[in-house]
Amino acid sequence: MKLQLWIGLLIIGILLGLWTTFRVYTEGFSLYAKTDVLVWTLPLSTYIFFSLTSAGLAFVSSIPVVFVIKRYEAIEKRTVYLEIAVLIASFVCLILHLGSPLKVFYIILSPNPSSPLWWLATLYSLYFVILLSAFWRIHTGKMSKPLGVLIFVIAILTSTTLGWLLGMTDARPTLNASFFSFYFPLTGFASGIAVVILFSMVSMHLSRQEIPDGRSALYNEFGRLMGIVAGMVAVLFLWRTISGGISSTAVEYGAFKHMIGSVPYNMEFWLGLVVPTVLMLIPSIRATVWGKVTASFLLLVGMFAGRLEFVLSGVVRPLGQMAEGRPEIVSYMPTVYEVFVALFGLSVMLLIYTIGERYLKLETAPE
Amino acid sequence: MPRYAMVIDLQRCVGCGSCSISCRNENNVTEGIYWSHKITETSGKFPNVRYHYIPTLCNHCTNAPCVRGCPTEAMHKLENGITMHDPKKCIGCRYCMINCPYGVIYFNWKDAHPSWRAGNSVIKEVTASPAEEVRKVGGKGTPYYNPERDATLPGIRPKGVVEKCTFCDHRVKRGKLPRCVEACPADARIFGDLDDPESQVNQLLGKFRPFRLKEALGTEPAVFYIRDFSSAGYPRTKGGI
Repeated sequence: MKLQLWIGLLIIGILLGLWTTFRVYTEGFSLYAKTDVLVWTLPLSTYIFFSLTSAGLAFVSSIPVVFVIKRYEAIEKRTVYLEIAVLIASFVCLILHLGSPLKVFYIILSPNPSSPLWWLATLYSLYFVILLSAFWRIHTGKMSKPLGVLIFVIAILTSTTLGWLLGMTDARPTLNASFFSFYFPLTGFASGIAVVILFSMVSMHLSRQEIPDGRSALYNEFGRLMGIVAGMVAVLFLWRTISGGISSTAVEYGAFKHMIGSVPYNMEFWLGLVVPTVLMLIPSIRATVWGKVTASFLLLVGMFAGRLEFVLSGVVRPLGQMAEGRPEIVSYMPTVYEVFVALFGLSVMLLIYTIGERYLKLETAPE
Repeated sequence: MPRYAMVIDLQRCVGCGSCSISCRNENNVTEGIYWSHKITETSGKFPNVRYHYIPTLCNHCTNAPCVRGCPTEAMHKLENGITMHDPKKCIGCRYCMINCPYGVIYFNWKDAHPSWRAGNSVIKEVTASPAEEVRKVGGKGTPYYNPERDATLPGIRPKGVVEKCTFCDHRVKRGKLPRCVEACPADARIFGDLDDPESQVNQLLGKFRPFRLKEALGTEPAVFYIRDFSSAGYPRTKGGI
């Protein structure tokens, strides 16, 4: 009964998303809170959130193969499956961001290798195929080493290319490349660990399974790792605030200075970084299921808000002739349709995961 | 092959906006989109204030960041230096808009010319509705539709793709000047070949000290500005404490 209710909720989320898709492609993108200034908003930031989380999951799933830490094999199958589900969610959001998604085949027919976006599209297509093959290998036996290494390499390339993509924009230094090419993989890794902890804990709780002793130690280890990574990200986050928000005199940073007081900024810092770090560095809390679940959930919420903060800090300040007749900083509040896009991605991801959890024995560890 | 550029003489420009209006007519530009626009500034403190007017358009940069970033080469450079856009290949990612430091690329959020598609008339059975008006004159989207624009670009761009100034490539191809240049009543826009040392563009660039927008970014714009309008004078002074 509970499962039926859960699936019903997910189907409602998907139907709302499909309705949004229909309206967006018949009426146009004016349904979003977009203007010629706010060209990238919630659908794109949700895409970035999912794609970086998928890359982070790839780092986690590659640990047994790349770093030969065998005890991590226990969660390999679930992690690779989550990577696929999260990546599909990112594609859903990306499609609803693109103005003409049916023309994406021109990425193959008319390639432009000088564009980081072209590399990103190519890498993600490759990544998806490799993930499917890797999952098939795990499902039917054992993860293949070359595939595991390839997933690790592609995860590094996709997350750093995303940093290159945004940092190539000299006109918007708030999207500075050198910083985000490092910040993205690291935050992606934090999100990846959080997803593994959250989904494993909740799945076991719902199926009323006891966590085996060995597995419990592994999740505690993950909790500590998540706390360390979140702490490192918090330090980087503060440096970004100091360099871009306080010490920089460049007028372009006005957008970032504006974002420092915003809700997404504070959510990322306090909910997404500070609280999980503190929770996971206290051994007694880390040892509890609720402690790990709370920390990983908050981290994901904070990261989701952080991706929006990051995208907005690049676009809220109009450039050139776009500034004519507009305020120095343009305000943004997502429309209900943009929220539906994010909900669509999340529902698709959760539905795929629920199906996998029920039919694909994600708990299975290789012999 | 020529390399086209434009010089805008700010002393001659009176800020009448005929460049923008003629551009809209020539290129069937929809409402909310500005291939030809302006940047205005006010300097000083009242009562000593001054109004500055800088006409703007796509700079057709030699190192165009929009071209570098486009994943499908929808945004591309022609041999004559014009930065051109192919809506057929455009996936609507808007990365060019993010990359352009000048804010001259626009996205078609919805179908063009929505006000001309309206079927309701002001006075029922007396006045024609905008849609009827378009039908009567045999227009396509607007009553003033210019079919010549179709030569190199869809006359009206569909929703879901970007668009911007093309230096009127369809006119240049036929040996005509861009429409904004032709329409300027003050001859403030001068168009020509940057590779021809004798062109009027080069003569002006050699005579005055030109500037380009955001030169420090290294985009090498092909739109140059010369002089400035000021009829003001002031008594000779060294200031005071």
